[in-house]
Amino acid sequence: MRQRSLIAITAALAAGALTLTACGSRDSGDKKDSGDGGGTTVVIGVDAPLTGDLSAMGLGIKNSADLAAKNANKQNLVKGVTFKTEALDDQAQPSAGQQNASKFVSEKEVLGVVGPLNSSVAESMQKVFDDAKLVQVSPANTGPALTQGQDWQTKKVRGYKSYFRTATTDAIQGPFAAQYVFNEAKKKKVFVIDDKKTYGSGLAATFTDEFKKLGGKVVGTEHINPDAKDFSAVATKVKNSGAQVVYYGGEYPQAGPLSKQIKAAGAKIPLVGGDGIKDDTFMKLAGSEATGDLATSVGAPVEDLPSAKQFVADYKAGGYKEEYSAYGGYAYDSAWAIIEAVKKVVDDNGGKLPDDARAKITEAMQGVSFDGVTGKVSFDEFGDATNKQLTVYAVKNGAWVPVKSGTYSG
Amino acid sequence: MNELPQQLVNGLLLGSMYGLVAIGYTMVYGIVQLINFAHGEIFMTGAFGALTVWLWLPGGTSMWLALPLMIVGAIIVAVAIAVGAERFAYRPLRTAPRLAPLITAIGLSLALQQAVWAWYPEAKSARTFPQIPGGPFEIGNVTIQTGDIFLVLAAPISMAILAYFVMKTRTGRGMQATAQDPDTAKLMGVNTDRIIVIAFALGAAFAAVGAVAYGLKYGEINFRMGFILGLKAFTAAVLGGIGNIYGAMIGGVVLGVAETLATAYIADIPGMDKFGSQSWADVWAFVLLILVLLFRPQGLLGERVADRA
Amino acid sequence: MSGIGPLEPGEDTHAWDGRPPKAPRPAGRTRTALAAWHRRHRRITFALLAAAVLLAGGGYLHATRPQRPPERPERPRAEVPYPVQVADVTYLDGRTTPADAPPRSFSFAVLLSVTSGPPVTVTRVTQPYAGLSLTTEPQVPFQTKAGSAHKITITMHVTKCGKAPRNAALPFLDVTLRNARAMQVQSFILGPRYAQDLSRSLEVACSNRLR
Repeated sequence: MRQRSLIAITAALAAGALTLTACGSRDSGDKKDSGDGGGTTVVIGVDAPLTGDLSAMGLGIKNSADLAAKNANKQNLVKGVTFKTEALDDQAQPSAGQQNASKFVSEKEVLGVVGPLNSSVAESMQKVFDDAKLVQVSPANTGPALTQGQDWQTKKVRGYKSYFRTATTDAIQGPFAAQYVFNEAKKKKVFVIDDKKTYGSGLAATFTDEFKKLGGKVVGTEHINPDAKDFSAVATKVKNSGAQVVYYGGEYPQAGPLSKQIKAAGAKIPLVGGDGIKDDTFMKLAGSEATGDLATSVGAPVEDLPSAKQFVADYKAGGYKEEYSAYGGYAYDSAWAIIEAVKKVVDDNGGKLPDDARAKITEAMQGVSFDGVTGKVSFDEFGDATNKQLTVYAVKNGAWVPVKSGTYSG
Repeated sequence: MNELPQQLVNGLLLGSMYGLVAIGYTMVYGIVQLINFAHGEIFMTGAFGALTVWLWLPGGTSMWLALPLMIVGAIIVAVAIAVGAERFAYRPLRTAPRLAPLITAIGLSLALQQAVWAWYPEAKSARTFPQIPGGPFEIGNVTIQTGDIFLVLAAPISMAILAYFVMKTRTGRGMQATAQDPDTAKLMGVNTDRIIVIAFALGAAFAAVGAVAYGLKYGEINFRMGFILGLKAFTAAVLGGIGNIYGAMIGGVVLGVAETLATAYIADIPGMDKFGSQSWADVWAFVLLILVLLFRPQGLLGERVADRA
Repeated sequence: MSGIGPLEPGEDTHAWDGRPPKAPRPAGRTRTALAAWHRRHRRITFALLAAAVLLAGGGYLHATRPQRPPERPERPRAEVPYPVQVADVTYLDGRTTPADAPPRSFSFAVLLSVTSGPPVTVTRVTQPYAGLSLTTEPQVPFQTKAGSAHKITITMHVTKCGKAPRNAALPFLDVTLRNARAMQVQSFILGPRYAQDLSRSLEVACSNRLR
């Protein structure tokens, strides 16, 4: 009797768990396109955090890539080829990202991957994709080392031929923020905080470097644990340091509470961050005192670009539940770059996909050039976007408002 | 540079919250020797219970009116889930080997997390929690946030109620008896099944109060909030001496203060600046735990392990 | 009563866990098979019922969660592009400083090009650093048509050496652009070559003891 009931309970629990996973995969799983062109199907993999704290950005990426595939099918851009997307959830974890990468590599129809969001995840995926010559275009990675090697400050070496991105790097973003904070906001004393992840610590380092060069003073540094919610001890330190501004290298799930707790501790100073905090969730978490907080983000505000009008309209018409968020336009362009590369390869091969399609597409990616949502899309010799725009946003009335924009033309 | 009083208050507040959740671990362990790993998730469901009540109330309801209702809502949800878990998951396993209920607890913890993730509206990322209006209180150069006022009041009051209940009421004494020796207590006419249910319910109620405090303090709740906090609260319970309700509170406060002071001061020790940031605070907290357990394996206020077996 | 010790549990004696002994099976047929099954597998029934209630409740919540009604898409209008989207400024090289410039000055040239759309007017060129001021040649404002480029010579004058950015890694120029659509200030980050030239020029300008 006891044994029997134990089994029953276990079974019930297992059944429950299975139902739950089924629910989960319905949300995060692939959306199969109904448009069947009768020809070849090319799958564009999407890897992003679809659940968890960063899902707001991840889901925007997934939906936008999906929109690109649908538009390509609608226009019948590549004759005889139907595009589909398959989205996998990396939960912002490098380990999960690598598993997803292996999965994409093992699926023959996958000829390109959009993603990931996090630079740390990208690090774990690059080699897997490069070995399989499967092209990867990230809409959001900003870590300079991903394209220019670990020693990018002294000697730029491209590590992986299959890695491309449409986002601007932190090598430009961090200094741009430093210039803005020092020259325009006239803050000379900064307290630098990061989350010890690839993206956060890298961004904080490029910011600190330029801020010091300009003559600013770093009055304190602190590293926080991304799992933590209580930053009161750090906030008290910030208050007592006499800093005029806080720079945070990290993402909005921590930046929001951090900003809130710093202000609550009595230090009414702005928090400045990078593209990782430029999401509307930041304001939800940081509360009303966030007004005046700043974020730099890569690219011009999507709403300002004439090319983006169509995207915004299509996205609305597409009926996606989530916002396109900070990287929607870039994800669309990333997916579109893959589509353009596929088109070139198919056209060169007399309307058919060649056997070594993956290698050919990776090669073709280098020469891709088109007018995308975010402006002209093409890649330099490192796989970085040639279009390098940045914008400083400030929180005003509970929304991010662009206050300054810049173009890198080095 | 005199931030010590403020940092102590920060630690005390954080610790009180750990303590409120730790009570649940310690009571259940004291009576059925089960480490209820799902307790962190019961804490989490309490927070969502409170949020549900808030969303139910018409917009613009005064926080002073809403807060008691939210606490009641949190307690109802948390207690219902805890009692349900006891009835359907743990009771059938009461005579099974120790490992079975432990694994069940872990499974239950995952199931609860995923259930909230999947079915609570928009719970896939953090949800904002209503806040008490008004500015912070300043006492000398120490600032106490409005959101923390609730914690400042709730923690000692809950503790006093618990102490009264356990020491003075019939059920409380039955609880002590069951904790000392379940078989003898049963022979003396104590309804041990009922006592166990009450222990689960009480633990959940305190976790629910802690959950409301969490929401008010941080302004957001999410489906994973119970995991780390549950782990910390469990550590607090062990630190204070698992099975001892005062130990849970003391352990929570010690842990909270230790984390805060580690963040604030370790970096000032020459040569330790690498190990002083907030990301190392957990490491120092666990170093403290190991040290305490080395010299007092029973925890700060715990009974000797030999008495237990 | 002496001499009688406590009874010890022997074979077949055990505690009843506080549960009353099961009622004996009723004589005759059980009403239905289901009821009999229920009696025998009470725990399974409980577990299944609980699971069913959980699923139903969750499903209800899931189904009735608030959903935004789909919004009608706006028709995108063909519009004049923003000036910063069509204009680009690149760094050319250092230039000889005009003779009439004040001491501690240096010059360089940048190229402003406009790719498409209506003509773009440069209304202002500034730089953000303290301790520096600049003049341009041609003087602002001037207009550039789509498809053409304008070479601008910029002469910087160091007013306070102590405040000038000696080795900024990514210095930029703020250029105010105007066209039929809007007026915008854009920062043009001119790259590492400009950064090097700027810090070298500053070094030279500030090395002669004129401060």
